[in-house]
Amino acid sequence: QEFRFGSCQVTGVVLPELWEAFWTMKNTVQTQDDITSVRLLKPQVLRNVSDAESCYLAHSLLKFYLNTVFKNYHSKIAKFKVLRSFSTLANNFIVIMSQLQPSKDNSMLPISESAHQRFLLFRRAFKQLDTEVALVKAFGEVDILLTWMQKFYHL
Amino acid sequence: DAVSVLPAPQNLSVQSTNMKHLLMWNPVTRPGETVFYCVEYQGEYESLYMSHIWIPSSQCSSTKSLECDVTDDITATVPYNFRVKAMLGSQTSAWSNLEHPFNRNATVLTPPRMEVTEHGLHLVIELEDLGPQFEFLVVYWRREPGAAEHVKVVRSGDIPVHLETMESGAMYCVKAQALVKAIGRHSAFSQPTCVEMQGESLPL
Amino acid sequence: AHTTVDISGLLQHVKFQSSNFENILTWDGGPTSTSDTVYSVEYKKYGERKWLAKAGCQRITQKFCNLTMETRNHTEFYYAKVTAVSAGVPPVTKMTDRFSSLQHTTIKPPDVTCIPKVRSIQMLVHPTLTPVLSEDGHQLTLEEIFHDLFYRLELHVNHTYQMHLEGKQREYEFLGLTPDTEFLGSITILTPILSKESAPYVCRVKTLPDRTW
Repeated sequence: QEFRFGSCQVTGVVLPELWEAFWTMKNTVQTQDDITSVRLLKPQVLRNVSDAESCYLAHSLLKFYLNTVFKNYHSKIAKFKVLRSFSTLANNFIVIMSQLQPSKDNSMLPISESAHQRFLLFRRAFKQLDTEVALVKAFGEVDILLTWMQKFYHL
Repeated sequence: DAVSVLPAPQNLSVQSTNMKHLLMWNPVTRPGETVFYCVEYQGEYESLYMSHIWIPSSQCSSTKSLECDVTDDITATVPYNFRVKAMLGSQTSAWSNLEHPFNRNATVLTPPRMEVTEHGLHLVIELEDLGPQFEFLVVYWRREPGAAEHVKVVRSGDIPVHLETMESGAMYCVKAQALVKAIGRHSAFSQPTCVEMQGESLPL
Repeated sequence: AHTTVDISGLLQHVKFQSSNFENILTWDGGPTSTSDTVYSVEYKKYGERKWLAKAGCQRITQKFCNLTMETRNHTEFYYAKVTAVSAGVPPVTKMTDRFSSLQHTTIKPPDVTCIPKVRSIQMLVHPTLTPVLSEDGHQLTLEEIFHDLFYRLELHVNHTYQMHLEGKQREYEFLGLTPDTEFLGSITILTPILSKESAPYVCRVKTLPDRTW
């Protein structure tokens, strides 16, 4: 079982375990998000992503989640008693990130740029919100991210 | 917090076999007293992004034992740090850390135990149950020169599984290895077990 | 579910129940609801501003509403809310948790035909259509939605052991059986990535007598 984001291959991650981890937090986290009219990972960010683009987009999104969302959201998680599930998600995201090596080849520039535009769409929506609200919303959208990543997962 | 007068537990180590991970340490002794221990862990994420954060172990937040099953705490194939402290009443020791982080891909995988039986003309195998992370690759063949090997993946142990319908009077051999996809490794094959198919099929 | 604080106790447990992508909104009346209490349903996609009224579920007295058509995009995320109105008390509105049928739906047992022969039993699994539509408008089967879906078939042989077959194809045959003998077959649908497993379809069949002697 592995992820294949185009030419980027990732092994050693059991996706069902990530789902299980998120499901233990889902309702607690999503109930904190009262703004149902705003979605950060909009359909335009994740729809019709080509295989070639997927490695770049996965890298950008996971990096943002690790460096910004998880890091700053962690203090809230501690009080929800779901530290363990959070740790499972975060550490498996690190496994994925560590194996994603998007090509730096010039020929891939148009593709990496297209992926970057999608990522900017997401990050712009994130920055338009108050930071605390954005963190809660982004963490609550991990299932949207997992649903997209699942398309690239092969048993 | 309470002044640390108790010595910290020493010689922390992890013994891991077939994805069962056991953290162990030396006892802290106080004559006539029962010393308790508390275990905490952090994965690579915590140590990289928030090194002050330690997570209480799911099994051993307060135990008299000198070992702790940390299998359920390790949920990613990354290095994990562990620490243990001793507790006696209001006294607590300093934390003692595992010298080298532990990664579950270092677990020792042993050839699976199996039982091969024949029921009428059916070759049946039962493998030991090693938990949800395991699958088994089963190879079986008719013991005669040039016989082809057949392969079957068995998803879980402890259920008798039919492998093949055999010819009476022939000898068939079976061997198996354990597979763990989460770490991308497998055990060595078990020693082959051979079974002779008795005469005509018995009523099932 | 949360929107207005329900001091009057009119409405509770507003949630989706989903099976094979049939998505039904259900709720319970509260301690103060009466047979005259009426309920109205609205729904929307997560990320959209406007709530849409569900025709056919406005000022109803029943406590369920079929939102299958309205929530048929299985990769989308939805909210629904119910407003309860009862004489003499302020109306109460409650919202569901964020709903994704892909995550929430349970899988029903498969439809299977078990065909006994003299020394074997054949099992034909029939595809399960769902209300989910493809982009060109045809109804999708469970197999088309879950790319990791597979079938697990077990034949229990007089309580001592089981014969196992599994795979993505629809036709299977257990071979090498004893004629004129009863077997218990059980067939399950699994989609491991989302940890879904249907209840088994069970068939009890007897192999045919061997008339060649």
